[in-house]
Amino acid sequence: MKPSVVPVDEADSVDVDFRPTDAGASRDLPAPAKFVYPSGSQPLVGYTIKRGVGHGGFGEVYYAVSDAGKEVALKLIRRNLDVELRGMRHCLNLKHPNLLAIYDIRRDEHGDTWVIMEYVSGHRLEEVIAANPQGMPQDQALAWFFGIAAGVACLHDHGIVHRDLKPGNIFCDEGVVKLGDYGLAKFISCSRRSGQTESVGTVHYMAPEIANGRYGKEIDIYALGVILYEMLTGHVPFEGESVGEVLMKHLTAQPDLSALNEPFRGVVARALDKDPAKRFKSVTEMLAELPRPARFEVYAGPLPAADAGQEMVSTGKSGKATSRHSVATVDEEPIFMAVRALFRRACDTWRQSSFNLPTKIALLVVGTGVLLMTSGTWLSVLIFLVMLYASYWVVRAILTALLPRSGAEALPSPAPPSAGETRPTAQVVAAEPMSSTMGWSAMASPLPNAKPRLTPSRFTDGEAEVLLLGPPRERLAQWLGSLVGGALATLAMGLVMLVLIGFREGAAEPELWSLTWWSRYAWLVAVSLSCTWAVLTASKFWEGRSGDAMLRRFLLMVIGLGLGLVAFGATAYFGVELTHERFMQILNVRPHRALSPSDGWASSKYYLAAFATLFFVVRWWRLADPARNVRMSLWTIIVCVVLAALAADLWGFPQPWLPMVACAVSVAVQLASPWIHPRDRRWRKT
Amino acid sequence: MDRPFGNPGSRFLLWVDSVGGYWVCLGDEVILGQPHPSARVDVPLLGDLSARHARIRRDGEGYILEALRETRMNGHRVEQPTLLSDGATIALGDTVRLLFRRPLALSATARLDFLSRHRTHPSSDAVLLMADTCVLGPRPSSHVVCRDWPCEVVLFRQEVGLFCQVTRVIRTTAGVITHPEGVMFEIDGHRQCQRGQICPNSRVAGEGFSFGLEAI
Repeated sequence: MKPSVVPVDEADSVDVDFRPTDAGASRDLPAPAKFVYPSGSQPLVGYTIKRGVGHGGFGEVYYAVSDAGKEVALKLIRRNLDVELRGMRHCLNLKHPNLLAIYDIRRDEHGDTWVIMEYVSGHRLEEVIAANPQGMPQDQALAWFFGIAAGVACLHDHGIVHRDLKPGNIFCDEGVVKLGDYGLAKFISCSRRSGQTESVGTVHYMAPEIANGRYGKEIDIYALGVILYEMLTGHVPFEGESVGEVLMKHLTAQPDLSALNEPFRGVVARALDKDPAKRFKSVTEMLAELPRPARFEVYAGPLPAADAGQEMVSTGKSGKATSRHSVATVDEEPIFMAVRALFRRACDTWRQSSFNLPTKIALLVVGTGVLLMTSGTWLSVLIFLVMLYASYWVVRAILTALLPRSGAEALPSPAPPSAGETRPTAQVVAAEPMSSTMGWSAMASPLPNAKPRLTPSRFTDGEAEVLLLGPPRERLAQWLGSLVGGALATLAMGLVMLVLIGFREGAAEPELWSLTWWSRYAWLVAVSLSCTWAVLTASKFWEGRSGDAMLRRFLLMVIGLGLGLVAFGATAYFGVELTHERFMQILNVRPHRALSPSDGWASSKYYLAAFATLFFVVRWWRLADPARNVRMSLWTIIVCVVLAALAADLWGFPQPWLPMVACAVSVAVQLASPWIHPRDRRWRKT
Repeated sequence: MDRPFGNPGSRFLLWVDSVGGYWVCLGDEVILGQPHPSARVDVPLLGDLSARHARIRRDGEGYILEALRETRMNGHRVEQPTLLSDGATIALGDTVRLLFRRPLALSATARLDFLSRHRTHPSSDAVLLMADTCVLGPRPSSHVVCRDWPCEVVLFRQEVGLFCQVTRVIRTTAGVITHPEGVMFEIDGHRQCQRGQICPNSRVAGEGFSFGLEAI
């Protein structure tokens, strides 16, 4: 058992609820918990009791089977508490995967009330905590916590305060966290104040303001903080020999958070604030501060599926994959979101299409070729659109910066109560209108989904959590393999592009397989290959680590300078003349000139500038990230080619050489670097 | 009194309050499979199985697993009758997985825990292959671990009857030790001291513990 108030280990919370107020200090064995109804009895028509399960705050709980064979839990409520049953009925039809379902409330011939509930056979959180006296593994604790929090958020969403959150009320059934006892919390709080029964197991989770009779949502936040602390450390923050001592600590003592790491320390500290107004305003807000558990789907699987919110279209696939690689614009812009959603859907269709891999690659290559050849026409339209969008974006950014930010920050907190406001002691607190804010609808079950959307930057480039990688030997083998793969891919890509480019109308291309053609091919392959290898090697160093994107860009730019020199050297070595073709030209910043070996050292500046720019603007390491969205992204290739064309135009580097290199490198890097399927990924916190 | 536990294929459900429900088989040989009206299945499991899927036989002190349909032990296909050791996992078909336990070396009684989400029909939390004795109590080596019980209950077979013996236990820092003092308890409302005979629908209750039997 967890170290509780009473050192005698019979002080199981199951028994504890039946003790008198001062029982906490006594060391006697508790009065044995009796089950009045033996196996086989039928207090309710249609249900046969099989065995007792435990004792809740106000009566026994039995495992029973209906005449047809349905397993249920029957909770006996001995006292005739009509007023309190009203609160219970409020919960009768709540539907949430993380809430224990209540099927019905019935009355037997003795006038006792029975609550017929879902039976769960899995572990109680209490037992899991007891099995981990040094604290549960972080991921496991988070998985539980996200499930619990989703259930509590659903209750709050319906204007219900649980009031009796504790590990004894939380179950895990076939991988789904289930919250129990929610509708009955009122009974407990009543008796608690009247002093008839005092439950030692519960005071550990009681917020200080309960002493003043305040029962707002904040007391659940407080209890969530205590539970999170207990899961991570194995013991509750305030321990004591008696109920009074524990209560006094809740009122006055500061919890010792030294055993917790950030961000848990900060989250627990804020949840356990003595002043309810300083705690998190909502469960969503609390979750936003916590890393998502890697095995999230295990304990709260149905959560994302239960989403009926509006965001599902754009986050249709697994939340993590989406959040990691979505472009990090903190203020999501509607047009961008729409375009991205459209593109995602296209990608999904492409991935789910019936083509096999060679066909897909062939289609990609042909498609790229066609795009390259017709670039003259569509590129100008695209540039126009991009410029239009850019100006719109700038205007919007200025406007959103000037206007008060009611968006992102305020989203999870649905009109928080003012500091001094006293919540009515009634079970049902006034519920804000459901449709008024997006925050409310997001609070129910999709909240784990909503969170990364609010703070996407935490998840890009693996700042919050990074991919767990294999041992160094395996990674070395991967790296060597990717070098070979990259080489083969560049050889093929060079050939394909040079052949395709020869088809342009009126192209003054050298005869295929002629000496000039071969020298061009050699230049293209040599340059692409060195770039591919450079990217693969740098990415191998950076994968599975978090790092500043700007620093990486800068390092890549330095590498780009070196590669520019390689390209310059290749021109001289292979004696190839880099002619300029207008068809890839987008901007007209600087006159382009053909580069030939006879130019001498003076022309090296073009190479240096063009390659350094190309390696600065593209985040190449993301193409080699094992956790990229898809193995091969057409969109990424297009972006690389367009950026390369712009970079070449900027410095007057002859076209289309740089875009061709970029195309070959982006294809080769994505093909050659390892990719881990999203379902096999394991994450590690940094 | 009739002699209900004499039949070699006797089974009953043991409902232990606050702990769980157990499917107890008294026979030396049990067939595991899907419940089927025409075939007799000793341990009917609601899974993707045949009606007669595997057989577990108690042979002296050991248990032997025999595959009637596809069965694996510890990941290896069972081709011929194989001796089961404590901690062995048994996979029946593709999805049903059981854990074989012999928690108490002194008793030949074994226990099958469910590793997959499958259960017997009617539902229970584990299967007990009871030899001569079965121990219910707070010790971790009990066949049924009842963490909070103040006593230890031993069910034992004598000739064809089933008896129940209750011993007080004392918790020390080193663990749980038995205390020779006799404990008063009730079987079907009749007071008993230390031991008594039980029948297939008995209810046994004492201070801090209670359980009931249900004939299948």
